[in-house]
Amino acid sequence: MQTLFDSRMTMADFIAALFDKLEVAGVAAITKLPSGEKTAYTLLADKDDIEDCVPYFPAMPANAARAVSKLTREAPPSKQVAVFLRPCELRALTELVKIKQALLDNLFIISFDCAGVFPFQEISLSDEAKLKAYRDAVADGKNCEGIRPVCNACTRFVPEGADIAISFIGRGLDEPLALSFPSEKGKEAAKILGLDSSDNVETSPALETLAEARKKAEGELTKKIEETLAGTDGLISVFDKCISCHACSYACPICYCKNCYFDSQTFEYFPESYFARMGEKGALRLPVDRVLFHLGRLSHMSLSCVACGMCEDVCPVNIPVAQIFKTAGTRAQALFDYIPGKNPDEPLPLLTYAETELEEFED
Amino acid sequence: MDEKNDFTPSILYGLCNWCGTGGSETAGALHLQYAENIRPFRVPCTGAIDPVYILRALIEGADGFAVSGCHPGDCHFDQGNYRARRRVAVLKTLLDTFGLDTERVWLRWVGHGEGKRFADTVNEFNDHIKNMGKNPLSQRRDT
Repeated sequence: MQTLFDSRMTMADFIAALFDKLEVAGVAAITKLPSGEKTAYTLLADKDDIEDCVPYFPAMPANAARAVSKLTREAPPSKQVAVFLRPCELRALTELVKIKQALLDNLFIISFDCAGVFPFQEISLSDEAKLKAYRDAVADGKNCEGIRPVCNACTRFVPEGADIAISFIGRGLDEPLALSFPSEKGKEAAKILGLDSSDNVETSPALETLAEARKKAEGELTKKIEETLAGTDGLISVFDKCISCHACSYACPICYCKNCYFDSQTFEYFPESYFARMGEKGALRLPVDRVLFHLGRLSHMSLSCVACGMCEDVCPVNIPVAQIFKTAGTRAQALFDYIPGKNPDEPLPLLTYAETELEEFED
Repeated sequence: MDEKNDFTPSILYGLCNWCGTGGSETAGALHLQYAENIRPFRVPCTGAIDPVYILRALIEGADGFAVSGCHPGDCHFDQGNYRARRRVAVLKTLLDTFGLDTERVWLRWVGHGEGKRFADTVNEFNDHIKNMGKNPLSQRRDT
């Protein structure tokens, strides 16, 4: 557990300090849009917009790792940029770094223990009742009703690998920020911010309670999904509604391929191919390759799935994609004791091997 | 013969360019008989078999899919077969999560000179798939 410091700063003070004391050239965080209803991940250039900056607002308009990947993929930024990332977004970013889709140079990563987010469509800045319930849940260290099922069952809600980590759970969103500084870069920042051991505060016991509740919810989710999926009938009926829009893969932070295999020419067929397949089965559902897309996508990215839930947020027909991918991903990751996004130095399981392993999968 | 066994399974057999196909050539040279309903195809390396090929076969009509290549340590590209083993392990784990038959996919190393092992694998896999019956996924029109 990292040492926690009472910064006596509000979020606005903290962001001002990022500009003034840590001399960052920009801050990327969830920010209120001019409409006053919705939020978006935004790169801010100066202090003027601090009041609109709400990094903890419980919505994920896009997985921010994608935005950071865009920002850094071609070259590292020439100046320091502070980026606010939820723990799952930070894990996704670590996975993207491993597949050379992002760079960490000159990034100042700020994360926080995350109480989950609401489905993106279901939360606005004006939803006062929901936001109040959320604030109360954060202060009490409880799961808030209405947050996404994968958030409700997320057990990795404390950030790993950030430069500065903010602790909200058990303290509340409106209290002065409690900060910890896990990295070397972070420790430097602590000195600049003037925090020392006299500012230490206790870690809230609410983190433990929430972790237990989340673990229980995770077990229930896995059980429910495995029951829904069971066998050919379950698999096909769960994806019955799928319209093959592939939005889940476009929103996925891990699916980085510019030309997705499933959108490639491989899946464009001549009429004869359709007739041949129709002939075999007597009928052919169109568009074809729906189940293949989901299973195939899993075979490509399940080992890196951080269960951020974006796929489910964008699914226009409400398939529990994220819950399915979390369940299947966790099983696949367990094969290699791999936790995506945990350790930046650990290679992706499919890019490495051991000479003696997995012999139970040989026949 | 019971009803289950009374069908000719549709089986695909992915063979690597170096050892798997070599095994089939040796089997041919030795005039070894093996089930005729398998459809062997050649890939540069078992490591080149994307699990999507296997999934596609199982969805579009195959009852079984076998993969054979160089024994560990013998890969022409040093590590392709180790990578294939990891991919097959992930694929089988996914199939298991979805409650599908993991036993419809086999991975077995067959060396260039192992004609008998090749023919035995084909026959064994063919009998095994006959026992399992038709692949329910491949029968569905609504995938």
